[in-house]
Amino acid sequence: MSFWSRTARVAVSLVVLMLLMAILVELTPLGENKWMRVFFGVSALNFTLRAAIPLVLGALSGILCERSGIINIGIEGMMLAGAFAGFVAKSSTNDWPLYLSLVFSVIVSLGVGGLMGLLHGMLSIRFRMDQIISGSVIIILAAGLTSYLFDRDAIADGKFTPIPIPLLSEIPVIGPVLFNNPPITYLALLLVLVVHIAIFYTRWGLRTRAVGEHPRAADTEGINVNLMRYLNTMLGGMLAGLAGAYLVLEAVGQFQEGMTAGRGFISLAAMIFGNWTPFGALGAATLFGYTQALQNEFLLAGVTTIPRQFVSMLPYVVTIIAVSGLVGRVRAPAAIGRPYDTEGGR
Amino acid sequence: MNPQKSWSSLIWLVSTFCLLAFTSLSAATLKVGLVTDVGRVNDRSFNQSAWEGVQEAKKQLGLNDRHVKYIETQDAKDYADNLAQFIDAEYNVIVTVGFALGDATVKAAKENPDTLFIGVDQFQGEAIPNLAGLIFHEDQSGFLAGVLAAGMSKSGTIAAVLGTDLIPPVVAFNEGYISGAKSVNPKIKVLSTYHPGELSQAFVDPEWGAATAKQAIDQGADVIFGAGGLTGNGALQEVATQSGVYCIGVDSDQWNTVPAARPCLISSAMKLITPAVADLISKAQSGSFKGGNVFGAAGLAPFHDFENDIPKPLKDLLVATKAGLDSGIIKTGYGN
Amino acid sequence: MFRVLLIPVLALVTSLALGALVMLLFGDDPILAYQGLFQGAFGSGRAWSSTIRKMIPLILTGLSVAVAFKAGLFNIGASGQFVMGSVFSVAVGIHFEGLPMYIHLPMAILAGMLGGMIWGAIPGFLKVTTGAHEVIVTIMLNYVAALFGGWTVYAGGTQGQTPGPLWDPTARAISETPDVLHSAQIPWIFGPPYRVHFGVFLALLAVLIIWWLIYKTTVGFEIRTVGQNPKAARYAGIRVEKTVVLTMAIAGGLAGLAGTIETLGLNHKFAPEFGGQVGFDGITVALLGQTHPVGVVFASFLFGALDAGAAKMQFESGVAADIIQVIQALVLAFVAAPLIIKALFRLRSTQDDRHSASLNTSWGGS
Repeated sequence: MSFWSRTARVAVSLVVLMLLMAILVELTPLGENKWMRVFFGVSALNFTLRAAIPLVLGALSGILCERSGIINIGIEGMMLAGAFAGFVAKSSTNDWPLYLSLVFSVIVSLGVGGLMGLLHGMLSIRFRMDQIISGSVIIILAAGLTSYLFDRDAIADGKFTPIPIPLLSEIPVIGPVLFNNPPITYLALLLVLVVHIAIFYTRWGLRTRAVGEHPRAADTEGINVNLMRYLNTMLGGMLAGLAGAYLVLEAVGQFQEGMTAGRGFISLAAMIFGNWTPFGALGAATLFGYTQALQNEFLLAGVTTIPRQFVSMLPYVVTIIAVSGLVGRVRAPAAIGRPYDTEGGR
Repeated sequence: MNPQKSWSSLIWLVSTFCLLAFTSLSAATLKVGLVTDVGRVNDRSFNQSAWEGVQEAKKQLGLNDRHVKYIETQDAKDYADNLAQFIDAEYNVIVTVGFALGDATVKAAKENPDTLFIGVDQFQGEAIPNLAGLIFHEDQSGFLAGVLAAGMSKSGTIAAVLGTDLIPPVVAFNEGYISGAKSVNPKIKVLSTYHPGELSQAFVDPEWGAATAKQAIDQGADVIFGAGGLTGNGALQEVATQSGVYCIGVDSDQWNTVPAARPCLISSAMKLITPAVADLISKAQSGSFKGGNVFGAAGLAPFHDFENDIPKPLKDLLVATKAGLDSGIIKTGYGN
Repeated sequence: MFRVLLIPVLALVTSLALGALVMLLFGDDPILAYQGLFQGAFGSGRAWSSTIRKMIPLILTGLSVAVAFKAGLFNIGASGQFVMGSVFSVAVGIHFEGLPMYIHLPMAILAGMLGGMIWGAIPGFLKVTTGAHEVIVTIMLNYVAALFGGWTVYAGGTQGQTPGPLWDPTARAISETPDVLHSAQIPWIFGPPYRVHFGVFLALLAVLIIWWLIYKTTVGFEIRTVGQNPKAARYAGIRVEKTVVLTMAIAGGLAGLAGTIETLGLNHKFAPEFGGQVGFDGITVALLGQTHPVGVVFASFLFGALDAGAAKMQFESGVAADIIQVIQALVLAFVAAPLIIKALFRLRSTQDDRHSASLNTSWGGS
């Protein structure tokens, strides 16, 4: 396939279009129009990015697992566990230097996310549990345990703040939106590219896809199918954990029970919407984040007397229209959801 | 299941005996129970304030630890059942927290005239002798916050990030805030927005609070009022990481409840649930408990580190406004 | 028969033991907690009433998810269908004063089911016409339903927004409907304080009908065939599109009925906080019941009991109800992966352990 798949092209054009409009609004008389400001103001773009980051990471997590043939509906739970772990780590290292403590907490989030991934792998590979059930177990378990263990008196002192990138952050409009962000945001955007290259252009990616599409053939080629699947679910868990870390250590600065609030499920939707490709997922997450931003812009600007519930339906309705109209049929990896037995082995 | 069952019932029997022994020993003291709205007793928000009020009363009156309990509601359909747990155990005072428990509390109070009920944030349409509805003039508190915000704003744009318009106290805060700000600067732009989701999400979405606060800052707001449980707290914490922007908290003095907000927190629009609950429980003990609506204190919290940043004329204006609100000369424009 | 029960019982015992271990580790008293839990679920008439009451909507949302699984469809949307059922049934229940109960009540119930059916059929329809994945659409429709429900009882905004059509003006700013008329309320079996209502028989009737439909009729055969192998089903002349839409409509109708019964039998009105958590629990219950109607009943009973006992548990022991969720997750894990329990208790494996029913045929969008 060419470097830019169809979904990737759509996604990237969407992002470029939004930035172009924002530049026009900021730098030309177009900005005097109230509606143009609502639709393409810098505040809307910033909000879009913030809302999209955890969704992108969640979707990447799903892509890694599912490309290797393991369904991951447990993203929500892995995210929550990662968020909680990051919070515990942060609140118990408050007396460390701020950045050290934050970075340490991110690592803990990654670790716990990875462990959740491992658990998902164990249940669905070693114990042959149906992968949808396994994912559900992870969601419920994470929700229950994090709420039960959450010490509500604990305080996480400080969170990641924006790091402007020299020169680039000076560019009007694009600078403040793209190049003046906290570290996990940069990392997440970078990871989209990394995962894209890893899946489509490396030996590891080739093997992952082989295991997800034709495990039997991969096995004959000497690839250890289940090892690849373990590896991918763990990596996927880590990415979901990073999404949790983003929520606690970068977006909010505090944990609270159920704080993922369905983002794992929306990530799942973004993954399918993006046809199991990283750039597709980025596009889907951006679209979703943008409609959320619009909804907020409408409410802030007070430009409409439509009851706010209908304004709030925007992200969800747009997603439904988009999946039915734009995307059409998507295709999951062929061997998804099926446990794999080596010949004759247990 | 079977061995489990007999084992459990044995323990049940033994413990019932123990319980009986205890109750007969201390039958005279007050038993206080609290039912939360869907939420926790340590939610850094109104449930916590109410529970702290109960704790304070426990200390003041020397109540037995065993007789002061709470149940955290998991599902809005369970309000009545959770109240019944306390009524069955013959608790004398039951505190129910939050607007949403209003109906269930009124019903229980009518059915159990010997039990005293305290309904936090529950306006009483008709007075029931054994039910005190603890309410606050949130609009006045919000009005003062609006005066402060407008007085401190240099950009002429201020914002409010709010829990939900499904709950009247939050609307009262906002309406008061807007008219307070306009009373200082009629041309001020107030960006105020309620959480777009359902009730179950509205107060527990700090991520939305933070992103919305940032959005308002991007649009030029330089004072942000965060009012809505954890959602509002998220807004405060976001503002704290931005330079040149002030924030105002809500409910209690958030200098203490959200330390992370200290870099921007110039004050909080308070409704003091804790002392009011403690006071009502004391009244229950002393026999001077009266039903109907009881107003708790509302007003601005201290300025703390920003004492010197707030100009003297503004402070004077706040004092005068407070007096005007108390005497009824100044109207907030909310209600009536 | 003995073996069929052995695994679930061992799974429950193991889960409770692990839950106790967690409590011990974090300084709670498991004995006190379980004793409270047991009392709260079975210790008195009111406890039983509460257990049964909580079981009712779980049975129906569980059935809803289970039926969809039979056709290889993943219905995450029971929550939204539940809300739509509530809203539609209330809309009929608060109007039509003067109708006798034998007309008004069935009308309200049918309206609620219809609401759920429409909401369930939409993702089915979109799937077969445009290929939109039902997982995405049902997730999104959950949010839309919650917002739609919120709007129907919205008291109106400060910027000139009009109130919703079902809002009760006498409730002032509170977002709720008026009470459902007596003629549309499902009566309580014993009367206050026992809030268990005749809806329980409706739910059990639904179980019976669904069991019959799935296993004894042609439609059921088609549903199962589509679930097992859509290509073979098409080859065999089954109209897969029709079956998918029909299955989703049935699933939606069941979840809608859950909302209806909960509204007409218990809450007697709709308010946004009576939302659809129970729809998500339906997924768990369906999985725990291994998507079999009878399994769903048992699973609902267990979950109903655990939920009912939670408040008493906290009252007696101070242990937060979150531990219940942990136990529920563990039970599900152990029931779904008998290999774990067998390894733990050194039971012999049987051949069929290795072929647990696959639920996820539709994941790739058929």
